[in-house]
Amino acid sequence: MERTVEVVPDAGLHARPAAAFVRAANEFEADLSVGRPGEEGVDANSMLAVTGLNVRNGETVRIVAEGDDAAEALDALEAVLTTPVEGEDGESDSETATDSDGGESP
Amino acid sequence: MRTLSGVGTTPLSGVGRARWYRPEGALSLPERPDPEAVDREAERDRFERARAEAGEALDAARDRTAERVGADEAAVFEAHRQFLDDPQLVDDIREAIADGALAEHAVADRFAEAVAQFEGMEGRMAERADDLRDVRDRLLRALLEVEAVDLAALPSETVLLAERLTPGDTAELDPDAVAGIATATGGRTAHAAIIARALSIPAVVGVGDGLATVDEGVDVLVDGEAGEVVVDPDDSRRAAAGGVEAPVRTERVRTADGRAIEVAANVGRVAELGPAAERGADGVGLFRTEFLFLDRASPPDEDEQYETITAALAAFPDDRVVVRTLDIGGDKPVPYLDTPTETNPFLGRRGIRLSLDEHADLFETQLRALLRAAASDHGDGLAVMVPMIARVEEVDAALERVEAVADDLDTAGIDHAVPELGAMVETPAAAFVADALADRLDFLSIGTNDLTQYVMAADRENEGVAELHDPLHPAVLRAIDRTTRATADADAWVGMCGEMAGDPALTELLVGLGLDELSMSAVTVPTVKAQVRETDADEAAALAERALACQTREGVRDLLGRE
Repeated sequence: MERTVEVVPDAGLHARPAAAFVRAANEFEADLSVGRPGEEGVDANSMLAVTGLNVRNGETVRIVAEGDDAAEALDALEAVLTTPVEGEDGESDSETATDSDGGESP
Repeated sequence: MRTLSGVGTTPLSGVGRARWYRPEGALSLPERPDPEAVDREAERDRFERARAEAGEALDAARDRTAERVGADEAAVFEAHRQFLDDPQLVDDIREAIADGALAEHAVADRFAEAVAQFEGMEGRMAERADDLRDVRDRLLRALLEVEAVDLAALPSETVLLAERLTPGDTAELDPDAVAGIATATGGRTAHAAIIARALSIPAVVGVGDGLATVDEGVDVLVDGEAGEVVVDPDDSRRAAAGGVEAPVRTERVRTADGRAIEVAANVGRVAELGPAAERGADGVGLFRTEFLFLDRASPPDEDEQYETITAALAAFPDDRVVVRTLDIGGDKPVPYLDTPTETNPFLGRRGIRLSLDEHADLFETQLRALLRAAASDHGDGLAVMVPMIARVEEVDAALERVEAVADDLDTAGIDHAVPELGAMVETPAAAFVADALADRLDFLSIGTNDLTQYVMAADRENEGVAELHDPLHPAVLRAIDRTTRATADADAWVGMCGEMAGDPALTELLVGLGLDELSMSAVTVPTVKAQVRETDADEAAALAERALACQTREGVRDLLGRE
C-alpha cells in the first residue's frame, strides 16, 4: 500500500515536521518507508534517515506501508505532511519594531 | 579596541566579560581497550541508562523552553528526542558494543558518521549536524558522568563565546545574566539563534576563526544589530550599546534619593505600542503622527486619527501619551500636500510653520481628533505638542486654534476636552525664549537631534560634520539647561525625546540637568530605568553643574568618563 503526497510545511521534512512524522510512524506496527517517487525509500521510523532525505517543501514523496494498520498509518503520515506549520523557522519570526533614529525628525 | 564581524541574529547589544564555553573539551574519551576485555553486557546497560537519562533531560528542556520561550522553539527538543531514539543509530551503537566497544566509543563513532553525513551541506542539513552533536554530547556526558557546564548559573554580565551553541545550550541561558553570545559558526536561522532572539539575548554568530583570538575574561561587546563583536570596546561604543539588558520594570522609577523620573517610549506606529508597554515604558513621550500621512494618496480623516489616538491611550491607560502634531517638511515631501522644493528644507517650511499656514486645514482636523480623544475613556492622559517652534507667536497662534476648535466642538455638541499642551524645543530660538514658552504651556519637550543640528549648525545626515553633531558640546548642554530652568521657574514639566534621552551613559547628567521625563526607543527603556534607580539626584545636579562649566566637548567627555 502506498501513497504520494506533497510536502506542505515550510521547513520541508526537517526539524519539527520531521520529528512529528517520525513520532507518528513509530505509533504504528506497519513497516513504513518514505522517499522520492522512483527512488528507494528509507525507514520512516528513523529521524536520521528521514531528515537525511533533505526533502524541501513543495517536493513530492512516496510513503509505502506494509502491515495490519497500513491504511491508518498512511492517513496519519499524510496528515503530518500536509499540515502547514506556522512559525516553524526563524524567517517568519516578527521582529519587534524599534526606532533607532530617536527623536524628532519626520 | 578590535572588531570582529559576523551575522547579528538578535538586534540588541550587550557588554560583559568573555567566558569561553568548550563543552567538547570536558568530554575526552578513555583509551580503547582490548575488545575481549570489555564486559559487553555492562556496556550495554550503561548505554541504555545514558539514553534514558538523556531522554529525560530532553523532555525537561522541551517543557522548560515551551514555558519560557514558546511551543515553536520547544519543538527542536522533540526532534532531538527522535534522534536519540533513532532505530538506526541505536541499533548500530548496540552492535558496536556487542563487538566489544565501550559504550562511549560506540556512541562517539556512530554519531561521528551521522554528523559527517550532514556536515558540509548547506542550510537546514548543516543545522541537523548541530542537532546530532547536541544529542551525542548529552549521551557522552551521561556516560562519562561529566556535569554539564551550568549555563543557567553564569555570573551576571557574561558574554558567552563558543565554537557553536546548541539549542539546548541556548535555552538554558539566563537572559538577565548573559549580556550576549558570540559563536564562530552558525547562521541566522539556526535554532540556537532563534532561541537567543526569543530570549532577547544579544547574539552574533558566524564570526569565524577570529573568535578564537578573544581571551577569557576580557571585556567584549556583542552588537547584534551591526553583527559585530568588539573586544575592549571604548566608552562611546559601550554607551551606544546600552550595556547589559536590564530587567523590565513596569512600575515608575525614582532616583535613589526619591526623585520621580518618567521613562517613556517614542512611538511611530500603532504596532509599536504593545512592545513599548511590554518594555515597561511609562507612557509615550513622543507619538509621531507622520505615519498616518505618509505612503497614501490623501490625508487621514478626523475619525481615523481619533481611532489611532484612542488606541494609543488605551495601550497606556494610566500613563501620559504625548502626541506631536504633524511634523513634515521639505526634507520629506508628502505627495498630496504639494510641499515646496527648498534649497534648505531644514531651515524652511516645516512643522508648525506649515500647520499654521498652508496646512491649517490639516492642523484643524488633527486638533479636532485630539480634543475629542481627550474626552474619551483614558483621555485625561493625553498631551499634545507642536514641533519646530521658534517664537512665542507660534505658540499663541496654536493655542488660539485649539480654542477655536474647542468652541466649534462646543457649538456642535460634540464631547471634547482640552489636553495638556506643550511645545518641542528643537531650535536655539525656542531654547532662548523657553521662559516665555513655558509661561504659556503645560510642558516642553527637548528634541536633541534637531536641537544639536541647529545649535551646532551641523546637518545630522552629513558625515563630514559628524563630530559637531554631538549633544555633549557645551553649547547644546547649555541650551538644554536654559530650557529646564525656564520650565522649573514656570511650573511646567520638561521632557526629552531625542536620541540623547535613551543613552544610559547620560541618564545621570540628564537627571542633573532637571529633566522630568525621558522618552526613547522602547528597547532602551529597561536600561534607562535601571540607571535612574542608581542615580542620586544631588550628585547628578553636581555633575550637571560641572558639565555646564566645561568649555569643550572633550571636557564634558572626560567628566563623564568617555574617551
